[in-house]
Amino acid sequence: MSGEIVLSVSQLGKSFKDKKIISDISFEVKKGEIMAILGPNGAGKSTTIRNIMGIMYPDEGSVTFAHYKSGSIPRHKIGYLPEERGLYKNVSIMDILMYFAELKDYPVAKAKKRALAYLSKFGLEGKEKTSIEELSKGMGQKVQFIASIIHEPELLILDEPFSGLDPVSQEVFKQEIKELANNGTAILLSSHQMNLVEELCDRLYMIHQGSKVVSGTLSEVKKEYANFKCTIHGDNEPALLEKIPNVLRIEQKGKQTILYLSAEMDIPKWVKQWPEGIQVEELSIDRTTLHEIFIQIATGTGTKEGVQDA
Amino acid sequence: MRNSFKVAKWEMKRNMKNKSFIISLFLTPILFIVFATIPTLLEKFNNDEQDSVNVYIKDELNSWTEMEKVLASLEVDWNVQITTEQEAKLLEELTEQENAAYIPLTEAALEEGRIQVYLSEDVDDTFIYQLSVLEGPLRQLQFQKLGLSAEEIEVLTKGVVFEEASVSEETDEAGMDHPVGEVGMENQLERIVPGATAGIVLFSIVITGMMIFQSASQEKKEKVAEIVLSSLTPEELMNGKIIGYFGLGMVQVFVWMLFAIPIITWFFEFPLFSYLFVPELLLLLFISFAGYLLFAAIFVGVGATVEDMTATSNFQGMVMMLPFLPAILIGPVLSNPSGLIAQIGSYFPLTSPAILLFRLSVLEEWPWLEIIISLVILVLSIWLFMKLAGKIFKTGILMYGKNATPQEIWKWIRQ
Repeated sequence: MSGEIVLSVSQLGKSFKDKKIISDISFEVKKGEIMAILGPNGAGKSTTIRNIMGIMYPDEGSVTFAHYKSGSIPRHKIGYLPEERGLYKNVSIMDILMYFAELKDYPVAKAKKRALAYLSKFGLEGKEKTSIEELSKGMGQKVQFIASIIHEPELLILDEPFSGLDPVSQEVFKQEIKELANNGTAILLSSHQMNLVEELCDRLYMIHQGSKVVSGTLSEVKKEYANFKCTIHGDNEPALLEKIPNVLRIEQKGKQTILYLSAEMDIPKWVKQWPEGIQVEELSIDRTTLHEIFIQIATGTGTKEGVQDA
Repeated sequence: MRNSFKVAKWEMKRNMKNKSFIISLFLTPILFIVFATIPTLLEKFNNDEQDSVNVYIKDELNSWTEMEKVLASLEVDWNVQITTEQEAKLLEELTEQENAAYIPLTEAALEEGRIQVYLSEDVDDTFIYQLSVLEGPLRQLQFQKLGLSAEEIEVLTKGVVFEEASVSEETDEAGMDHPVGEVGMENQLERIVPGATAGIVLFSIVITGMMIFQSASQEKKEKVAEIVLSSLTPEELMNGKIIGYFGLGMVQVFVWMLFAIPIITWFFEFPLFSYLFVPELLLLLFISFAGYLLFAAIFVGVGATVEDMTATSNFQGMVMMLPFLPAILIGPVLSNPSGLIAQIGSYFPLTSPAILLFRLSVLEEWPWLEIIISLVILVLSIWLFMKLAGKIFKTGILMYGKNATPQEIWKWIRQ
């Protein structure tokens, strides 16, 4: 992707008291691109996003939006859906959408038109006068999503946009995010649903304990850093399995054993090096998924080879 | 500032559409009117029910025509009959009647200075008080009998009274036609009416200001703060709330005035506007607005530390009591509006607005030095409280899930 850079984050750092929450976070989001920021709970994703949004102020580094530096970023060009989100309960959908559009300096008439179009698109047609407290959680999330894009933002930041959504709503959101990106919106999203990230994102930036562990386009990460894994079904003693060469890590559950291997492994050659006596009822060898990379990082079982910069 | 006005507009619109606000907006003055008028109406109804008193008068003194003139100004409900019947017969008739009285105005009684009044059953207790107005004309008759001249009688009936007079106004008032008491009352009303109006404004805006506490807390509870803060700064959000609830308070005052002004002006025939629109009103309103800003800063700051109102600790709940702090001082200030307690109350920022308004309403001479010192302290306190509220609000509004502890608040202030 070689589009125009919309958001540039450079060496961002933030501490609370003596604890470093994020350090040396650097990435860019381009026009029409969907960029994922990933990491386990407490990794520093929301802190990174809050620093970008100017809700928090970074101790180190800088955030540049288009040509605007931190402190002078025009907030009305950015859409934001925070992780901790809600809406005023005792007001109508249309009133709240108009309020958010007004806060973003977006023309009311245009906002009204867009709001009605999106409500219809998200299955909330005719509910514009309905009070927020009468909506289900999923419906409320749709309204929050509309609120974040009502003003046609150039950059859209979505913190866990799929959390709490049913599969149908997830699909609706996914399609909308794709459409927004196709129309030129730069999108930065954080999510725990790796399958959705794999489907949606052009690039990803994974952080753990406040620092980057892996970044790059999805294909680069998958090609370069998704290791091989070999799954064996059979009764095998751990001592015997440990004799298999070039194994980074072994996981054994009953009869199933997973051997984690490096990414550059010559598989046919490796199989020939197995010690005698290994019992194989079933055997499969494939690459680890993004989900597994994420789990490895979150649980601290990731290997150096598995989580490098692409 | 533009963003603050957007927030202010939103807060006003949101509350004006809220049924409970609308109900309280109109219900409060209606309740005031009901409580103010119902007792009077009931009393009137009660009086209407009561028949007029049949008063039999034996007028040996031929003085009733004079006395009737005095009674006319009192609007007493007497059915007077001048009688020449025998006293014994009349008293016998009286025993069979209800709500009747017999007054023998005889030469002997006048000489003795004691007039017996015979009452039948069911005569109201107030009747005997109403009779006291006849004492003046009867005393004049006594003096006439003694052969005193008209001038002597006038001097004696006028009596001697003590009357308060201001030293500085003595010269000014010397050449005026009005009686001293009348001018004093007018001057007093020119203080009391604007003072009371400013007091109502302060009360109204502080009461709606309390809603800021709820609004800030609700913003946290409903987790909407972060979405809003993606469009503006915490300071803009805080200022917007303060402006919005000020506007709401003023709307409330306006509606109350719509009810109050016609009643006061036309029903009570009181020239409200001539007493209200005096230059002093500007200073009194300034004190009210300053009082609002002070309490609004406290409410918005502390409100941002509370997520669950039901679990609010004593510390946060006590904040709501602060505007009522002047009530403690009202007794001593009332008895001596220029005393030490009144002065301390004027200097202490939390009591200053209400105490100042009260003092300036009752004091004939305004203590300008004290007013200036109080206002300087008040304005500096507002600046300080706004600064502190800004620091607390900035962090507190984004802290979800629990109420902040005093230690945490102290930490945010020191940041």
